[in-house]
Amino acid sequence: MTSPLALDFVMEKMKEYGTVEQVRQNRIRITTTPGNVFNAIKDVLGPIGCDRLVTISTVDNGTTFGLIYNFIGPHRTVVSVAIEIPRENPEVMSMSGLLPPAGIYERQIHDLFGIVFLGHPGLKRIILNEDWPPDEFPLRKDWKKNPDTNYGGVKEGWS
Amino acid sequence: MATPPESFSQRLVNWARVKSPWITVFNSGACNACDIEIIACLMPRFDIERFGILVKASPRHADILIITGHVTLKQASRLRRVWEQIPEPKYVIAMGACGASAGAFHGLYHIMDRVEDVVPVDVYAAGCPPRPDEIMNAVITCLNLLKEDLAHGGKEWRQHLSGTKIEPDEQKDERI
Repeated sequence: MTSPLALDFVMEKMKEYGTVEQVRQNRIRITTTPGNVFNAIKDVLGPIGCDRLVTISTVDNGTTFGLIYNFIGPHRTVVSVAIEIPRENPEVMSMSGLLPPAGIYERQIHDLFGIVFLGHPGLKRIILNEDWPPDEFPLRKDWKKNPDTNYGGVKEGWS
Repeated sequence: MATPPESFSQRLVNWARVKSPWITVFNSGACNACDIEIIACLMPRFDIERFGILVKASPRHADILIITGHVTLKQASRLRRVWEQIPEPKYVIAMGACGASAGAFHGLYHIMDRVEDVVPVDVYAAGCPPRPDEIMNAVITCLNLLKEDLAHGGKEWRQHLSGTKIEPDEQKDERI
């Protein structure tokens, strides 16, 4: 069994991408920019020794969207790569080429938050119903259910 | 209204329908607690097969459809398609608090608040989740409804009841 990752080791490898901090025991967070995220994740998978994407969490901060890629490996330390993208132009590079499982998370984020992942091979609906209106994103903070909109699901003449 | 006397084959079919209902379970967005209670029904402690109740995988072989959970917008068309494949006479049990009123999820953006907007429901089984004996009680309530419907020659006599919910406790349990 390998020992947990040391903060100094990660800081030395990742300091070119942004700030590195120990959030709590067994959890290291790297805050970087959308331009650097591809290379940062490449390094997390390489020299840092993570081999598994746990999840991609997304948060609506009001003016920006925060994306946090959480990784884990044999060292049993969760390494999080956090970026913020602007709300007006929510576009970020897709990780599906580097990490095929990320593609499914990205489809879900695209469905619920409307974030566009550039270079994704098939950015289609995965979780909402097929006849959901295409310009409504229910997990955004400013989204409200419009009583005049048809959100699909049930058709006229049923029951 | 005088109904014509039933033929022997029709009486045989009716007897078999009441004696051995086949059910199919459709998870329309449940948290799996209802499904686990249905599995508990099949296990040796309750063992609903000794009453002739069989769980079938295909809706085309089933008489009773058990809907577990609230109906999400995505599952609504699938649930309707499953219901349309069941041969008449068919009965629907909406299971649990979610089946009755979407439960804790009432009013969310991806939920049909009423199962009756998608398929007509005959029996609501209360509980979160309902215990296996309550599920059995709901199935037997369906069978009592089936007997009454056979006597009345169809489901139309119950139309005036629409709006009032038929609770499982209203019927006397005659088989157990």
